[in-house]
Amino acid sequence: MKRFLIIVLAVSFILLLSACSKKAAKVAPVQGPAVETVEEPVAQVEKPYLSEEELFQQKSLEELNKDQVLKMIHFDFDMYAIREDMKPVMQANANWLLKFPSVEVLVEGHCDERGTIEYNIALGEKRAEAAKNYLVSLGLNAAKVKIISYGKSKPLVQGVDEASYFRNRRAEFVITKK
Amino acid sequence: MKLRRTILLLLVILSFAPLRGQEEITIRIREGMPMVPVAMPAFLLNPAAQNSETAAAVYDTLWKDLEFSRIFKMVPREHYAYIPAFNPNAIRFKDWASIQANILISGELEVTADDRVIFSFKVYEVTGERFIFGRNFGGKKDLARLIAHRAADEMLKHFGERPLFTSKIAYISETGDDRDVYIMDYDGQRPTRITFSSALDMLPSWSADNEKILYTSYRNLSPELFMFHIYSGKTELLSSGGSNYAADWSPAGDRIVFTSTKHGNAEIYLKDMKTGQEKRLTFNPAIDTSPCWSPNGREIAFTSQRGGTPQIYIMDAEGSNVRRVTMEGSYHDSPAWSPDGMRLAFVSRIENRFDIYIFNLKSNEISKLTENAGRNENPSWSPDGRHLAFSSNRSGRYQIYLVDYDGRNVRQITSRGENKMPKWQRSAK
Repeated sequence: MKRFLIIVLAVSFILLLSACSKKAAKVAPVQGPAVETVEEPVAQVEKPYLSEEELFQQKSLEELNKDQVLKMIHFDFDMYAIREDMKPVMQANANWLLKFPSVEVLVEGHCDERGTIEYNIALGEKRAEAAKNYLVSLGLNAAKVKIISYGKSKPLVQGVDEASYFRNRRAEFVITKK
Repeated sequence: MKLRRTILLLLVILSFAPLRGQEEITIRIREGMPMVPVAMPAFLLNPAAQNSETAAAVYDTLWKDLEFSRIFKMVPREHYAYIPAFNPNAIRFKDWASIQANILISGELEVTADDRVIFSFKVYEVTGERFIFGRNFGGKKDLARLIAHRAADEMLKHFGERPLFTSKIAYISETGDDRDVYIMDYDGQRPTRITFSSALDMLPSWSADNEKILYTSYRNLSPELFMFHIYSGKTELLSSGGSNYAADWSPAGDRIVFTSTKHGNAEIYLKDMKTGQEKRLTFNPAIDTSPCWSPNGREIAFTSQRGGTPQIYIMDAEGSNVRRVTMEGSYHDSPAWSPDGMRLAFVSRIENRFDIYIFNLKSNEISKLTENAGRNENPSWSPDGRHLAFSSNRSGRYQIYLVDYDGRNVRQITSRGENKMPKWQRSAK
């Protein structure tokens, strides 16, 4: 009985060992020098603060437009009135423009694809005009704002859902002179 | 019975017509009249023309033109096998009558040593067993299709119809970011690029003499009207101030109408092309656009949003006597007046679909020309008023299609890139 127990123990020990050795063969344990932590203290420098004016002076027209300092607004289907939720955007645009009275801006009117080519040019121009008039009503010099309509020829996104149509029904503000 | 009477009537007319004269036959074959059955056996070819693509091109083009006409009906070629082979020197009219041919076209085609084509054809009236007229055309080999179109136009003229097959269509083709003006044959063949600007070009319109094209271009940043002289390559800027677009040249070629925002709002203006004088025709805070002449040059159809939504209106060419044409629906645009003055084609938007409708100005009846397949836009009538060109994205990208006045025989004529805004010449040269 005792002998049997010893044999069982021995067999199970061997089995356990072989299982261990199998695992060990799969994942070789890393053995060698201890891992050295590489560290570097972060330089405690502060980026120089650039005022909006300084940024404006520094940036080219392309950069200003790329940064979208002036935000586009969107319109309702077939409509050219400024939406209530777009008025704060227009106010922000106007505030920025009033800060830099030398800036000249081109308002581009665009439409979604659910209109005919000819009518959409007219509708896009109405949108650009409405945006211009709104800026002027907020105190901008009308002579500094030009308008153009592209109708449906320059969609922002391709897509046949209301979200895409909404994004394409827009007025964009392009800075043409600073 | 009815058919026989028509044919008889035709015979009477034809017998009074001079054999080779240029005089126009005044009776016109009207819609609903049976088509004239035409047989055209294979052409007699000289050795150089045997198995040549040129000979095949002339034959096929002429066949397709006549088939397209809605005036002629081609007797199927399989039927020719039932009768003895055609012999141009001894025509057995009875045989051709037995396969229901009413008109017989006998053609001879020669390819010369200097690569020119000479095409001669003779037209016979089968039951009367007589020669009606004939023509000879010669030209460079690469003009084979044009030679066939000329021959087909001669057929139309002799049946009292206006020539059609040598007419061209101007359109806008888009490859990459470029959108330029092109012209092509009525069947979509032989496209030629006309403008080479990196800006948007759009909405072409032909002059009455077919030598100039008026179009809208963004090359100076805002939409303006340019006039291109096709045969001298000269381009002229015609407009000034505001946005100017969607021009239509008057049928006589002396005036143009267009949309302009030079006084702040989209209004319709008329410009005298001789004096350069402009006249404002609409005075309305709403959008007025898409002007189009009536064929007699006395009236102008246009789109106005003055009633809340874009609708079609007609006014006298002086801007007076404005009346609304479309009463139902919420969105109409792109009016096109048929050459006979009786009908207006336009685009109507219903639930985000654009279809082309035809409004009969006499009966006030509206019929639908295209059937719920994508967006169908910018209808333009053929010179004979039996066909229309339009653009459609039914196959994915915009392409140009032709359709008969009754909605039959829709065919796509462009396939490369994206093609739209077709404008057919008012008349073949």
